Amino acid sequence: MRTILKIALGIIAAIGGFLDIGDLVFTTQAGALYRYDLLWAVVLGVIGIAVYAEMSGRVAAVSGRPVFDVIRMRMGFGVGLLALVASTFVNLLTVAAELGGIAIVLELLFDALYSMFVIAGTLALVGIVALLPFGGIERFFGYGGLLLFVVVATVFHQDPNWGDVGRGFIPSLDSSTLYLYFVVGVFAAALMPYEVHFYSSGAIEEGWTEENLKENRLNAFLGYGIGGVLSVALIIASGYLFHPIGVEPNDLGTVALPMQGAFGETGLLLALGGMLFCVGGAAIDSSFAASYNLAQFLGWEWGRYKGPQKAPRFTASWLVFLLLGIAIAESGINPVEVTEYSVVFSVVALPLTYLPVLLIAGDRSFMDEYANGRIAGFLGWLYFAVILVLAVAAIPLLLATNGGGG
Amino acid sequence: MATVIIAALTLAASGCGDLSNDELNRGVESLSALAGQGQLVASGVARDATKATYARVMAKTLGEQADHEAEKLADATLEEAETGDQRRAAVAVAGEISSLLSELQTYPGDERHGALVQKHLEEAQEKADAIVAQLSGDAP
Repeated sequence: MRTILKIALGIIAAIGGFLDIGDLVFTTQAGALYRYDLLWAVVLGVIGIAVYAEMSGRVAAVSGRPVFDVIRMRMGFGVGLLALVASTFVNLLTVAAELGGIAIVLELLFDALYSMFVIAGTLALVGIVALLPFGGIERFFGYGGLLLFVVVATVFHQDPNWGDVGRGFIPSLDSSTLYLYFVVGVFAAALMPYEVHFYSSGAIEEGWTEENLKENRLNAFLGYGIGGVLSVALIIASGYLFHPIGVEPNDLGTVALPMQGAFGETGLLLALGGMLFCVGGAAIDSSFAASYNLAQFLGWEWGRYKGPQKAPRFTASWLVFLLLGIAIAESGINPVEVTEYSVVFSVVALPLTYLPVLLIAGDRSFMDEYANGRIAGFLGWLYFAVILVLAVAAIPLLLATNGGGG
Repeated sequence: MATVIIAALTLAASGCGDLSNDELNRGVESLSALAGQGQLVASGVARDATKATYARVMAKTLGEQADHEAEKLADATLEEAETGDQRRAAVAVAGEISSLLSELQTYPGDERHGALVQKHLEEAQEKADAIVAQLSGDAP
């Protein structure tokens, strides 16, 4: 019974912790511009992150090695360093975007200076990390993020044409560069590298072993899968309300408008509260991921469970990443723009993160009986091929569409 | 470093120089979108179905975007001189949207103001859509 409860709690935390500012922005914009036509891209992204999260969690549980350890071991110092630089750059942009996102939501709730809220929000995150154990941090943000289920309720309240919604799940490729840019954006927002870096390091933090493989599989597929339902709901709610009147959501605040339309102030507050937890959780995940990568690559002691005394350089680097994130968020750049760049640049870094995981997870000499089976291997390579294509296309699409501006 | 790269890419992506017909069209479409978004915010105020801080901050943000769009349209040199009338009309619509949103920012808890602003933003959106139709040759 205790095991079932633990698994259920993990799944719930994964659902609430799935969305970040990139998902919120890209899915809402995708719905406004293309109505339900990009729902298939969400499904594609969610299956991808579930496949790779399961693999990275399995490798961590069986070998005791998190993703970045695996990258350096399998790809060597040079490629490992390249992966470190690329992922640190993307993680830093993500941290800045998430801190900016926290400040925007607080500004919408309390109407004070954005710059003040960047600092206040970051201090609150540091306080939460200092006070709660690792599992508690995950659950705090994961459960809070469940407030966003108001988006699902909004969709049922809107009662869209379900036939049109259903057709959105059938893959289609429009020839316009803007459409392709949003395919890349929606897909990449689901597969941000920090998610597997954090997930696999979290498995070590929580002391997973082979006995946790069932929990790992359920967390990855059910947690991310049901979390994907929130992304799907965001596209539908946005497509239903914004598409007919030509609204182009360029602000985080706009994401909450459909919920206000459906349930008034209560819907608005639930949406803003859910966004705050999701973006706050992602700020923790991405800043931890940046520190995990650095510490694992350089062979430092690392882990929240070790505390600042036993892992001082890991803790210091985490604080430095937060400070750098504050500096970028305070520089005057719109956090939504930073988000778009971080999501698109992450596509370029994806192969460096996912190839080593795929190689190790399929290596029988290393993983023994826990190596990839046929389905996991097939899906892994299939997704890797998709990731490679998107990695080549991402930057040209970013430039061709003026960063999604059309 | 990240800031510098983003700034450089933004500059490269934004493009400089004359305003083409397509860019003018996109600018006016953005105004229509801002008016549409403003209507949704104003609708919340009119129905007493929002939080005043949210309505105020959203109105301020959207108003700043309308001002920015007006400046871009007013400053640029047109590639096709015959679209000058549409450009002038677009700048006027941008100013109208901005001042309506400013009113919403001042009275985010007043239902009567909310309803009025919603109605006027709807009219402003219709004007913007009419300019888009003229530019794309779809006007009657």
